[in-house]
Amino acid sequence: MSAPAFKVCMLGDFGVGKTSLVARFVRSTFAPKYLTTVGVKVDSKEMLSPQGAPIKFVVWDIAGRSALDALGANYLRGASALLLVADGTREHSLSVALNLLMQSRTALPDAVVALAVNKLDLVERWEVAPTTLAEIRRSLPVFETSALSGDGVEAAFAELATRLLP
Amino acid sequence: MTTSGNGADANAADAAADAALPPPEQDEFDRLRNLLFGDELRAAEAARARLTEIERQQRALPDRLPHALEAAGAAPRVAHALAGPVAHALGAAVRENRQVVVDTLFPVIGPLIRKSIAEALRNLVADLNGAIESSFTLRGLKWRLEAWRGGVPYAQVVLKHRLAYRIDHVFLIARDSGLVLRHESAPDLPALDADAIAGMLTAIGDFVGDSVGQGGGSALDSAQVGEYLVWVVQGPRANLACFMRGVPPGGLRSLLEQRLEEIHAQLGDLRLEQAPNDAALATAWHETLQPMALVRAAGIDDGVAAAQRPPSRWPLLLLLLLALAGLVAFFAQRERWDDRIDALRARLQAQPGFVLTGLDAEPWRKVTVRGLLDPDADSLHGILERAELGDAKVDVVGTGYLSTDDAVVARRARRLLALPAGVDSSVHDGVLELKGKAPDAWIALARERAGWVAGVRRVEMAVLPDADPVATAQAELATLAHRLPTLQVPFANDALLAAGGGSVVDDIVDAAKRAQALAAAAHARIAFTSVGSNDEVGTDEANQRVRAMRARWLADTLAARGLDGGGQPIALGEDAANNRRAAYLRLDIEAAK
Repeated sequence: MSAPAFKVCMLGDFGVGKTSLVARFVRSTFAPKYLTTVGVKVDSKEMLSPQGAPIKFVVWDIAGRSALDALGANYLRGASALLLVADGTREHSLSVALNLLMQSRTALPDAVVALAVNKLDLVERWEVAPTTLAEIRRSLPVFETSALSGDGVEAAFAELATRLLP
Repeated sequence: MTTSGNGADANAADAAADAALPPPEQDEFDRLRNLLFGDELRAAEAARARLTEIERQQRALPDRLPHALEAAGAAPRVAHALAGPVAHALGAAVRENRQVVVDTLFPVIGPLIRKSIAEALRNLVADLNGAIESSFTLRGLKWRLEAWRGGVPYAQVVLKHRLAYRIDHVFLIARDSGLVLRHESAPDLPALDADAIAGMLTAIGDFVGDSVGQGGGSALDSAQVGEYLVWVVQGPRANLACFMRGVPPGGLRSLLEQRLEEIHAQLGDLRLEQAPNDAALATAWHETLQPMALVRAAGIDDGVAAAQRPPSRWPLLLLLLLALAGLVAFFAQRERWDDRIDALRARLQAQPGFVLTGLDAEPWRKVTVRGLLDPDADSLHGILERAELGDAKVDVVGTGYLSTDDAVVARRARRLLALPAGVDSSVHDGVLELKGKAPDAWIALARERAGWVAGVRRVEMAVLPDADPVATAQAELATLAHRLPTLQVPFANDALLAAGGGSVVDDIVDAAKRAQALAAAAHARIAFTSVGSNDEVGTDEANQRVRAMRARWLADTLAARGLDGGGQPIALGEDAANNRRAAYLRLDIEAAK
C-alpha cells in the first residue's frame, strides 16, 4: 500500500522563505539568492511520521501574498494542511500570516495548520517577540525554523504528519 | 378498546373514539345501538380519525419533504433511495412531456453541443492544416509518392501519418486537491514525480480557469509544448490528464471522457483520499488507463503499435531492386565486353601475318594479346584501337615468324625485290606474278631473286624490258653533237652575216639547249666551242683573224640568246680545214664520273 498523500499549502507574505523551506524539506538544499515565486510551484516528498507511518506531502508553494485573492483561494482547494510562514525579522509578516489563516478558513475549515517563523539563523535581528509566539502557541503549533540550517523544518512537517494521520 | 398503531397517531385515534361515546341521557335506541354495535362504532370512528390524520399529513407532505431532504443532506441512503424513482420519473417525463424536458435541458444541451461541434471542427481544421502544411514539404512529397504507389487518396495517407501518436503518461487527478489518484506510464519511460506534475497541472488549470475562464466553468482542456501534448478531461470529482506525443485522433478524447465517466461510476460514494488504496479500483484503473490499452481501445495504431508492426518490406525490396539493377548492369557490361573481345579475337584471327595464340582479358581493365607476328604484316594498332576497350590497358606479346599468307608474301616480295614503278605484283597460293615494264638490269635481278622470297613457290614473270633513259639521252646527245657542226652560220665576208644566217643561229640555239637538257639524263658533262672557219681566199694571217672574229661573233650571239658553256663562257676555236666562210658550234661530251 502506498503512502497516503496530502496536499499542503505554504502561505505567507513575500520573501518570508516559503520556497526556501520547501527546497530544504524536499531537496535538502538552500539557495541564498532570492527569486520570487510566480504563481505556484508543486513538489512532493515522502517521509515517515514520528509514529513511523509513511506519508507523502504534495507541497504547493504558493507565491507570497498579503491577502488571499480568488486565484490563491483556488490553489488552496482540496488542501489537507496549511503551513503558514512568517519572517522572524519582520513582525508584519506574522500578522500577514495570521490574516491569511483567517481568510483561508472559509475555504479550508478543517485543514491542519502550523506556523513556521522562519530565519532562525538571523535570530539576533528578530522583531517577533517571544511573548507573541507564546500567545500564538495557545491556538497553533509554532515552529522556529531556518531554511538555511534546516532547523525546525522537518519538525514542522512532522507535526503536520502527526495531525494528518489518524 | 382496540389499539391501532403506535405513538401519537394511535393516541389521537383513541381520543377520537372516546369522544364519540353517547352521553348517559342518550335515548334507549342509542344505548341499544351502543350495546349492540359499540365496538364497531368506535372502530369506525377511530378509522375515520386516522384517515383524517393521514389526509392532513399528505396535505403537509409537499411542505415537509424539501425540509426532510435538506436535513438528510448528501446521505448516500437517500441518494440510493431516490435514484430509482427519479430515473423512472425522468423516463416518464421524457415520454409524456418531451417538450418540457427539452425546454428545461436546452440551456445545458446548447453549450454541450457547441463544445462538441467546436472540438470536431478543431480536429478537422488541425487535420486540414496538417495536410496543407505537408503538401509541399519533402515529407509531403514522400506521402504523395506513397499515395501514388499504393493507389490510395493523398488525404488518406496524410491522415494515416498524422494520426501516429504515442501516449506516455495518464494521470487520474483529484479535481480539488490535485493529488494523484492513479498514474500509468508507457513502458521504458524514466520515473517522474507524478504528484508534483499532477499538482502543477492542476495549478495551471486553476490559473487558466481563473485568468481567462471568467468564472464560466471553462477549464484547461489541452496544452502543447513542443512535441508533447497534454489533454485534460474534466470530471466532477477527478480529472484525467493524458500526456502524448504526436497527433492523437479526435476519438481518443471521447474515449478518455468515457473512461472518466466509468471511473466516476466506480468511485461511487468512496472518498477520494481512500481511492488510491482500494485494490479493486487500482486493478480496474490500471486496465482502463494503461496507455497501451487506451491506444488499442482508440482503435488506431500509435508509435508503440507501429514499433510492434512488422517492419516495412519496402527498404528490403528497394535493396533487392538495386542489387538486381546492379547485377543486370554488371552482366550487361560483361556481355558488352565479351562481345567486343570476341570481335577483337575474330579480327586478330583474320589479320594476315598474325597468328593469335592467346587473348587474356580482364573486363575493362587489361587485355593481353599473344601471337606470332610477321614483320611484313600490318600493325595490330589499328585493330586494337577499333576494338573500343575503354580504358583497359592493352599489351601485345608477339613472336616473330614468316607468314605464307599471300598478302604478306606479296608485301615481302615488294620489299625484297624493290619493285620499280612500272611493275605490278600479286601472290596467289604462293605464286608470285610480276607484270609490267622494267629495266633490263632489274629484270635480270628479279629473275635471280624472286624465287628466294619466303613463301613464294613459283614466279610468273611477265615484265618487258624498259628503254634506258640514260642511254637514250646519251644517244640523242650524240646525235646533237653530230648535228651541231653541220649548222654553219654563213658569212658574206669577214664578219658580215650572209643571208639566212639568222635562222641557222636559231637552230643552233635550239639544239644547244636540247643538249643541255639531256646532259643530266645522259649522266654526261657537255661543253660548247664556237668555231670559226674561212675559205681558201686570203692569207693565213688574215684567215686566222677572220676565223677568230667569226668564232667570237657566234659566241657572243649565242650568249646574248641565253646560252652559256655550263657556267663558263663558250670556248672559242678555229677550223682552218673547213674551207667555208662560216661559224658553227661544237659539242663535246664527257661521261660523268
